[in-house]
Amino acid sequence: MSANLTILVGDDSILARKQLKDVITKFTTDPTFIDASNGQEAIDKYKESHPDLVFLDIVMPIKDGISAVGEIIGADPTAKIVIVSSVGTQEQLKRAIEAGAKDFIQKPIREDQVQNVLNSQIGDRS
Amino acid sequence: MYAQFFGSYLLNKDAVSPEQLTTAIARLSDTHIKLGTLAMHKGYMTASEVDEVCFLQTREDKRFGEIALERNYLFEDQLEDLLKSQNPDYLLLGQTLVDMGALSNTELESLMVGYQDENELEESPEEEANIEETSALIERFFENSGKPLSEHSLMYMNLVFNNLVRFIGEDFTPLAPVPCNEYSTTYCVTQAISGPVTLTSGVDMEPDVAISFASRYAKMEFDEFDEYVSASLEDFLNLHNGLFSVNMSNIYSEEVSLDPPKHEEDPTLQLTDSSFVLPIIYPFGTVYLLLIM
Repeated sequence: MSANLTILVGDDSILARKQLKDVITKFTTDPTFIDASNGQEAIDKYKESHPDLVFLDIVMPIKDGISAVGEIIGADPTAKIVIVSSVGTQEQLKRAIEAGAKDFIQKPIREDQVQNVLNSQIGDRS
Repeated sequence: MYAQFFGSYLLNKDAVSPEQLTTAIARLSDTHIKLGTLAMHKGYMTASEVDEVCFLQTREDKRFGEIALERNYLFEDQLEDLLKSQNPDYLLLGQTLVDMGALSNTELESLMVGYQDENELEESPEEEANIEETSALIERFFENSGKPLSEHSLMYMNLVFNNLVRFIGEDFTPLAPVPCNEYSTTYCVTQAISGPVTLTSGVDMEPDVAISFASRYAKMEFDEFDEYVSASLEDFLNLHNGLFSVNMSNIYSEEVSLDPPKHEEDPTLQLTDSSFVLPIIYPFGTVYLLLIM
């Protein structure tokens, strides 16, 4: 098993962050989590710690998730960002992908979706 | 979705008082459907036959089905059918009200017929309520309450009831929507939707009700009002409105945008003329849904 993963979870809801982290923990070995409660905080914390994977909600105060994707990708084009949102419309999906997101999970999250994303984004490192 | 609206139908007909209804709903979780109620619903037995068998049960140590067969009130195949049939969930509410003494079996019998007729419900309760039927039920609920809804608002409310069933539980009864210009909040969370549809929706409830609501939503046992409880209320609203935006996009190809949900600090909210508050009774308490349009 290689070095433990660092995963940034950006959501304004403490409950949504907890639920997502609980699911991720089931499929990874001792991940290190970084919490962000809005888009700007996610950008700042990404730049500080360059996590292996980022999960971002769309609807957040101060700066929304899709703007945050654009800024993070602007700073680091190799960033792996997955959008986790209840607003899973075609338009939002398109905007997220155009901004540089790698995947999109529709809330309410299902464990198998999170597992698939972990497998496809970080593969055997999980 | 039938049980939910049977309660408001009973209120609408002045058959029971709001207090009786609330008490009955709170008792639902530890009540089981009785054979007599089912037999009456299926039209196999009349209310007076059911009453008679119940009376006989107090003197003879026999089961309901046994006595009903002896008296030729039921045939063997009818009894078998009753024993294996899935009962519509609104029967349980009716039966609880009879047990409480709020209704007689005779009154329940005619109210059930009236409810089925008014809503053109299928004879066979085993069948899942189809989407159109449920939607028509909800539309009539608002019309009967003097608050007819636009197409988008109707879709919105349809989704509210579906999401309550999906994320909180089906054991609720909505009361008639109350038009409201000024609303005093308890613990209130709102979220604004803008774009082709502009509205703000909210949920408001007592802190102890919020604890139960959140425990169900998050599938966690909360015993005090903490940040997870308030986050659960916001999450529910945000998830529901997100799913509404997905529906708007899929059905009407229209994109709405959402503001983050927020806790209303103000003790009084000023609402527009077309706004309303919908009290939704759960066994754990009342959730007030605000629709500000």
